[in-house]
Parts: sequence; C-alpha cells; structure tokens
Amino acid sequence: MKLSNVLNLPALLAASIFAPSIVSAEHTSNWAVLVGTSRFWFNYRHLANVLSMYRTVKRLGIPDSQIILMLPDDMACNPRNAFPGTVYSNADRAVDLYGDNIEVDYRGYEVTVENFIRLLTDRVGDEMPRSKRLLTDDRSNIFVYMTGHGGNEFLKFQDAEEIGAFDLADAFEQMWEKRRYHEILFMIDTCQANTMYSKLYSPNIIATGSSELDQSSYSHHADNDVGVAVIDRYTYYNLEFLESEVKDLSSKKTIGDLFDSYNYEKIHSNAGVRYDLFQGGAEAARSRLLTDFFGNIQNVEVDGARNNTVDEEMLALSKTIAKLRVLADEEEAEAKKASQNNTTAPNKSKSQTQKRVPTAKPLTDDNWYGKKLVGATALASCAALWALGSYLETPKN
Amino acid sequence: MRHFFSYLIPFSILFWTVALASDYYEQLILKPLPQSTVLASFNFRSNTTLSQFEARNFQYFPRSLGQILQHVGTRELHLRFSLGRWDAESWGARPWDGTKEGGTGVELWAWLEADSDEEASRKWLSLTNALSGLFCASLNFIDETRTTRPVMSFQPEGDHSNTTLANMQLLHGVLPREVVCTENLTPFLKLLPCKGKAGISTLLDGHKLFDASWQSMAIDIRPLCPEGQECVLQIEQTIDMVLDIERSKRPRDNPIPRPLPGHELKCNTSKPYHSSDTCFPTDYAEGQEWALDQVFGKTIKGACPLTDPEVPPVCIQVPHTRDIYITAGASEIKDANKPSRCYQVPLESDFSMILPHMSREGEHPKTDADEIVKPETPLLYAERSFTGHGYERGGVRTILTNPSPDTEVEFFYMESLPWFMKIYLHTLTAHVNGVAGSKNDIIEEIYYRPALDRVRGTQLELRMRIPPASTVFLTYDFEKSILRYTEYPPDANRGFDVAAAIITILPSTSPDAPLARQKTSNLRTTSLLLSLPTPDFSMPYNVIIFTSTVIALAFGGLYNILIRRFVGANEVVDSGVGGLKNKIIEAVAKLIGNSKGAKGKVD
Repeated sequence: MKLSNVLNLPALLAASIFAPSIVSAEHTSNWAVLVGTSRFWFNYRHLANVLSMYRTVKRLGIPDSQIILMLPDDMACNPRNAFPGTVYSNADRAVDLYGDNIEVDYRGYEVTVENFIRLLTDRVGDEMPRSKRLLTDDRSNIFVYMTGHGGNEFLKFQDAEEIGAFDLADAFEQMWEKRRYHEILFMIDTCQANTMYSKLYSPNIIATGSSELDQSSYSHHADNDVGVAVIDRYTYYNLEFLESEVKDLSSKKTIGDLFDSYNYEKIHSNAGVRYDLFQGGAEAARSRLLTDFFGNIQNVEVDGARNNTVDEEMLALSKTIAKLRVLADEEEAEAKKASQNNTTAPNKSKSQTQKRVPTAKPLTDDNWYGKKLVGATALASCAALWALGSYLETPKN
Repeated sequence: MRHFFSYLIPFSILFWTVALASDYYEQLILKPLPQSTVLASFNFRSNTTLSQFEARNFQYFPRSLGQILQHVGTRELHLRFSLGRWDAESWGARPWDGTKEGGTGVELWAWLEADSDEEASRKWLSLTNALSGLFCASLNFIDETRTTRPVMSFQPEGDHSNTTLANMQLLHGVLPREVVCTENLTPFLKLLPCKGKAGISTLLDGHKLFDASWQSMAIDIRPLCPEGQECVLQIEQTIDMVLDIERSKRPRDNPIPRPLPGHELKCNTSKPYHSSDTCFPTDYAEGQEWALDQVFGKTIKGACPLTDPEVPPVCIQVPHTRDIYITAGASEIKDANKPSRCYQVPLESDFSMILPHMSREGEHPKTDADEIVKPETPLLYAERSFTGHGYERGGVRTILTNPSPDTEVEFFYMESLPWFMKIYLHTLTAHVNGVAGSKNDIIEEIYYRPALDRVRGTQLELRMRIPPASTVFLTYDFEKSILRYTEYPPDANRGFDVAAAIITILPSTSPDAPLARQKTSNLRTTSLLLSLPTPDFSMPYNVIIFTSTVIALAFGGLYNILIRRFVGANEVVDSGVGGLKNKIIEAVAKLIGNSKGAKGKVD
C-alpha cells in the first residue's frame, strides 16, 4: 500500500519539471456549451437562438461530441408546430435548424441549474455517459452561450428555478481552479444580460451580453405560420455577422470586429462587453480570432527541443518506477492471497444478508377459511375475556 | 465503387464461413390502410456470432451498443420509442402482432446477468445512463420509482441456456412523458450498417417520421441458437409508421392546408342540393394517387450493398388488381398465394414507385377491395380512461373487447403506476357485458406489489380470460397524493403522464387455431394524463410579501406608540431650527429654567 504512495512521487516530480514549459501556449481543442433555459411553445425563439448557434459552431467544425446542447422543451416535434421535425430562426424558412443530424445532450426536465453547474464543474456520478460531460482540459477554449428569460443578476431555468450571477461566477472559478479551460467566451442573450457576467472574477474570460441593467432584450421578428417570434435581436445580428464575415475557418475576423458591429439601432438595447478578466486586457481580447471560439482549431502540441539530461533522468525514473511497480504488484498479490484465506468465511455470510428487492406477490384465496378462522377465534377470545372480566367484577352479594 | 467490389468478392469467398453466421438483412413492407393512410414497416436485422461478439469483432453489429451491452452484462435488450395512437377500429391488427411497439414515450426492458438484486439495480442504472447518452433521451430518469420487475407479462425471446436463465433478472421501465424526435432517430440510423446512406433507410427522415399519425421505433437484441450452428447475437431494428397520404404529400415549405379556390373544389354531385353555386366537397382522400418519393419526400438511393441479395428490399401488400408503376431497372416478384409483391432494387440507381388513382367511375369502376387489402380484425380491443372527478379521488376504467364470435382470449394485463397514484385494490372489479353470469372467472390470477411513497410505484399484473364476443369492464379506484413543493415539474399544470397498460395475449393452446393466435401478441393502451392537486407556485412569494407587509405595519405602529411621547400642540416649545445662535439661546434658556425650577421646588 505504501509503495503506491511512493509511485506518485515521480509523477509529481515530472509534472513540476514540465509545468513551466507550457505557459503561454495556444489552445488545442474547442468546446461549446449551448444552453436554452425556457420551456413552453411561446418561447420558441429561445430554442431557435440556441439551435442557430449550434448550427454555426457545427458549420465551423466543432463536432457533436464537443458540443453540449441543452434544450428544455421540444419545439421540433411539438404538436403546435406546423412544420414537424423543423425549427426555423427566420421567417424566410431557408435553413432548417433541426435538420437530419442533431444530438441533444440534455433535454426536457434534465435542463436544471444543478445539471448545468455539474456539467461545468464536472461533478457527476460514475454512471454519467461521456457524451453528457464537458471533458475539457487547461488547453480547451470554451464558448458558452445562454439564452432565456432573466433579470438583474439572474437567469430563469424553465420558469421554475434560477441561476444567479454569483453561482455562475463561482462555477467558472471552480473550472479555472480545476484547470478545465484555457479561455472562455461567454455570451448571453436575455433581459438585463450584462448583469449576469458582472460578478465573474476568474481569469481569461471574455464576456458579452445583450442588454444593460433595466433594459429588455427584444425579439427580432415573428413568423406568421409558426405563430410566434422566431429569434431575438442580439442573436440575430451576431448570426448575421458570423454568417457573412466568418464563412470558413480561414476567416481572420476578430472578437473586436464582432463586438464593434453591435449598435443600439439594430439591437434596441445596449450590448455590453467585458475584457478586464482577460490576460492582456481589452487589446489582447479584441485581437482574438472568432474562429478560436466558434471554430474547431486543432493545434497540435509538438514537444520542442528537450534537454538531454532531463530525458536521461526521466528514463532512469521510469525504470525505477517499473521496478517499484513489479514489487508493488507482488506485494499486493500476496496480500490478496492472505486476505482471501481469511475472508472466505465472512464473504459467505455477507452474501446471505443481501438485500432483496420485493417483487410482486400473487394474491390468492387459498387459505380463505384459515384466515376467517383466525379472525373468528380472535374475536371469540376477546369476547370471552370481556365476559370473564365482567363476571369477576360483578359484586358478589 | 464497382472496382472496389470486384476486389471484395474473392475476399468474401475466403471468409465464407464467417459470412454465413454474421449477416445483414433489411426490408420495407408497405401496406395501404383504409382512410387513405399507408403503413410502412422498416425492418433491419443483423447477426453476429457470439464468439465474434465476445472477441469485440464487430462487423454488422453496432460497436457503440455492443460495448454497452458487454459492460453491463445484458443478455437481452428491448428499447421502444413510440408516438401517437394506433387506430385499431379502422386499421385493424397491429404490425408484427404488436410485439415491436411500446407505450407512448420510451420503454425499456432488459434481462441482465446478475447474482443479486443489488447488482441488477446497479447494472440497470449504468445501462439506462449509457443508453440515455447514446440515444439522446432522458432514459436516466428511469430510477427505482419507475422500475418494475414484471412476473408474468414478459418472457425472454432469445434462446438462453438453463444456467444463464438462472441468474438473469428482468427489469422494465417506462417514460410516458418522453418526447420522441429527430435526435432519437439520428443515433438509431447510425447503428445501421448502411447508416441511412443507401438502401431503404434513405427513406427515413425526421420530417416525415414525426409527422406520422402513429410511429414506433424498436430495437431488440437477443441471442439465438439455431440447431447445429453456432449461437448468434441478433439486433433487430424496426420502424413502423402510419402516414396520412394527403398530409405527407403537402410540400415541406408550405404544410398548412389552405382553402382551395372554388373552381378547384371537387363536388359531390349526388347531393340533392348540388348546383352550380352549391357544392358539397367530396371525400378528397378516396382513391388518391401517391408515389413513394411523394410520401417520404425522397427516393430509395439504391440497395444497401451489405444486405442479403436474395431478399427483395421493398414489398407492398395490395391486391394484385392494383396497378403499380416502378422505376426502370427494378424487377417485380408477385406472390401467388397472398396479395403481396416485392421489388428487387438495383444497387446504384434510385428507386420509387407510383400507385395511380383508381377511378370509381367510368367503364371499369374500381372499389376499395381492388385498392387495399382488408385489414385483419385484432384479437382484442383495449381502451383505458379515467373516471371520477375532483382532486382527491379518481378511478380507472379499462374496456376490453373480444371481437371473435367463437374463441375466448386469455392474456396478461400489466399496469405500472406512479407512486402518487395510490390504488385501492379492493375496488378492483371486472364485469362482463354481453354474456350473463360467469363473473368470477374473468380474473384468474393477480400479482401485486403495492407502492411506497417516493421509493417505488405500484405494479399490478392480472391474468384474465374473456369469453367470445363480449366486453369486460375492468375498474379500480385510486387516491391522488399531494407532492412536495419541489417535486413538481416545471409544467405541473399540464398533468402527470401515466404509462400505458401492457397486454400480452397468450398463444392459443388448441392446435387448430389460426396462425395469428398461435403466437404471443401484444397490445398497449394509450397513456393517461393525471392531474394532481397543484399549488399556486407564486403563492409562497405572495405569502412572504403579505406577511412582511402585515408585520411591518403592526410592528411599526406598535413601536411608534411605545417609543414616542405624545405632547399637546400647545405644550410644544417653539424653538428655532439650527444655527449656533439658537443653540446658545437654548442653553441660556435651559440655565434660567433650571434655576427657576430649583426655586420652584423649594416652593
């Protein structure tokens, strides 16, 4: 047992040797967390917002396995939808956002504040499938998009609960502490959205929102055949920029270009941005490429010219590790043998006391007379007792 | 492409023995039904030998699912996604005798290899979670409260040895509220060897499938041991859907029916009031022309090259008198014994077929009998509904009808009810309408597991026998419980879905019974929507605000009265406000007052 502790030591050593060499590197994977938080048909536009972002990141190459899509209600197959299996975000109905190939990771009642925070911080049970987890590391760029109904420093989930700006800030901080991201682009489209990112305090986050405190976010337009508004203004103009300016991964448009395209005349609210958490401040944040967050860039990390002495030391270390491992295995095997001899007897008794799940039992009338007889006897004996008692109590004259 | 296959053929001859055991088969059966609807049954089946499976050598068997099955030790697995209602009165008997359909929503049952109940529960948890990730459905919501262990209703379909049967546990779970949509179809298609890129699976499109009047997607995995051969593991994927022809012919970008202009209306001329300005529209649906690519929105993109070439991929069940036109290159095979014909589809060209309009007038008028095969009468009709009123008590009534004039029907009836629906078992009654007497022998056996609050649901299994040409009314009462505030879902006012009752019709014991009665067949009622007493969710806020106001008023008033000293208006000393001068004057006045007061006291 103690040997295994020794084994961890070289690993720590190695980590401390290599840690300084990976400081200001680029990201090596892209992830997207797209969250809609409104249920009910009249909130069609929020799901259309999320799905149009889903289409955009998918168009720019992020695979389904690296997109976490949360849809709280079913709009595509909703009985009210005149276009079954389809969600549109524009009245011209040119693009079917639901399409033929979609993977929704969290849907319906699964979209809760708890699940969202668990997803970000990766505090999930063993049984959670990989497709529902955010398997990022310290070299992952994450695009987080949220939309729904909100207010000053909160965002409602399914009209039943809400996430606060502090909860969100703490979740991001926990992600940073667990080295779960490299950089985050946080985008939110809701009423008073800018209050949601005001409490963030973790580094390397660029945040943007659709409206200031006491401002509403408005929908863009409605489709008369769908019967409800189909997209929000802020998301609409974000998409317009991404569709027209970022056509493929070779686009050199930066975050600054996107943020400069926001104006009050189009969005009807003051979109906000926050750079101060980002390393290098506004200048560095604004010069980041949009494809760093919306696209899938696969930078490969190649080990540079290494110090030969370090290599030799590592080789020697790994040899000792191998030796120690063999020793540990032997020790463990012996311990197992010994414990097996000791614990065969208790094991048996343990298996006897296993919990059994009660199954359905047949209802039978087999001992109907028996049951009646027991009842009658019980009644009769009660009566006899009473009679006896009253006989004894009667004053004897 | 062809070049590639020419290399492949000698290669496959080398591995002929392997190819025999593991194979792939697909078939689409179309069956026009009354009321201008068509039933399309897609069936995909692939086999892999157990030794290949255990060596993790997946050829046709989907790897993603295979790994899950191996991880949790699943012996047999059945998964269903269903939507809509099968209209048995007009469409007749169900496809596949109802064995490949589930209740509305998602249904899952599996036989797991487990030595103890705890182990089975643990494996069940990891199975439901893994499947929820694979199929994009909330299968992880099948927890202990929704899991049952049926005693009679389900039997393993595969071949299992007696030793494996001994430590197999059956678990069953239903999610009646679960929506079925495109995200469930996507992973379903990815399990197929041709992945929806070739063969009949190219017809499957979420836009049509989820517009169907009724649809059911099924996955069955079972081991089969043919005599004298190696055991194989079979995965069978089935999709059944009933399409409304008129509805599915609408263009996708304009699916909302709009009134026809007057001159395009077809009028029923037999009406006495028919004239040039009065029109009674005819039943437009009658004898409509339809084509495969019109109804599905796509053509079949050639046959799947992996399928068994002996099996024709498309079949249609219509009378031989009906005309059918097919695309060039395909060949027709007519079955002389029954009204069915099949088509061989060429490998690399599109396939479609047209069923032209059958004129009801003219020289050779056609009737419905020329157009469709009359549907078979089902063995049993079942209908379930709520009775009673109010938010405290309720009742359930199931109407079971045996339409056969001479044969009785024996079946298992299983209900798994949520824990908040507490049934009173003593109110369970069954009475026959149609035949006098013979009241007691309808319910032959009852298996029952009562519910425990927040732990498990009610499980009720009945073995029943219904005499010929009679209707049985099965009723019981229940009580609705009140949930805790946090237990209500976000849309509690919509109600709570109660899973469908599952009816398993037992095969007839007499040897001269017709073919349909010699197999086990299934039937499911519709699911129910139970409305529970729902609180006003904004009430706590109202209460907090209201009480705060009351407390503020009461406390403020009381505090005011206690602390403040009330003085008459004339008693108030008229003092100036602020300024150093005033303060000095005040101090002087106080000093004088004190000396006066001292004097006064002496007096």
